[in-house]
Amino acid sequence: MMDINEQLKLQAYLDGELGEAEAREMANRLTQDRESMALMAELRNTRQILVGFEKGIRLTESEDFYWSQIRRRIEAQQSRLPQLEHRVSWVSWFRRRLAPVTAMMLVAFAGLVAFRGTGYFGQSSATEVETALGDPGAFTYRDYSAGTTLVWLSYPAEN
Amino acid sequence: MRIRVAPAFWRAWVVVGLLVSGIGLADVLAADLKIEAQLVWGTADAKSPNPQHKPVEADILKKLRELPLKWSHYFEVTRKQVALPAKATRKFELGRCDIEITSLGGLDVEVTLLATGGKKIVKRTQAFPKGEILVLGGNAPNSTAWLAILKRID
Repeated sequence: MMDINEQLKLQAYLDGELGEAEAREMANRLTQDRESMALMAELRNTRQILVGFEKGIRLTESEDFYWSQIRRRIEAQQSRLPQLEHRVSWVSWFRRRLAPVTAMMLVAFAGLVAFRGTGYFGQSSATEVETALGDPGAFTYRDYSAGTTLVWLSYPAEN
Repeated sequence: MRIRVAPAFWRAWVVVGLLVSGIGLADVLAADLKIEAQLVWGTADAKSPNPQHKPVEADILKKLRELPLKWSHYFEVTRKQVALPAKATRKFELGRCDIEITSLGGLDVEVTLLATGGKKIVKRTQAFPKGEILVLGGNAPNSTAWLAILKRID
């Protein structure tokens, strides 16, 4: 079984790229090894087909003129390229800036929703107001850190 | 100059917009407050003479012990839960007094304590975030205390 290096060597032999000693060795191998012979035949066929295909192409104008047309088209495309790059970069700039802003907004909003009930965000518009309607002796103690409010009344419990 | 942006980009923005407005709408619609009210008896004795009394829960006890109160033991006499829609008022009986709570929108509530016969004793307006407690209390016979404890549970 031929490995890839041997196959490449056979291709090089076909192209006449091997040195004298290697070429002799490969020629010798081709007389004995059926796999090498088969691959050689396949490579020859392929090359023949490609050569035949190339021969079938006939240019309607001179070769120089044909290639100069191709060069002009490439140059015309290249001249439009900076404008295209500008467009792409503007859109990508828009995305680059908006993606983090969106993410930050979502995180902030999620935080706001999560802490909605905790009172750390200003949902309260009312100031603390206390009216001792029937108990002028009432007093209030508020512990903000513990979240506790005590309104102590002097109003008798029996009532 | 016309800029073409991938449809997926706009779709993502539409999803974000719907999400934000949906959460905001849900927030407004689900603005009901749930308040738990307990009538508690405070005493220096470790045991209540009333077998139906049970010691208050640990979190309430912790908060009561942080208050400037002289009693060391607190027993739950009765407990009620009240659901309070936004801008609504609920009045309920707690022991021998009545409590009226009005949701003012957002976190703000107005709490009124009424004595027997409907006489208003005290009215308080404050922000009432989840987890906070409001204690309305006073002296009771034999150097004990009564406490109406309101806790916002949702």
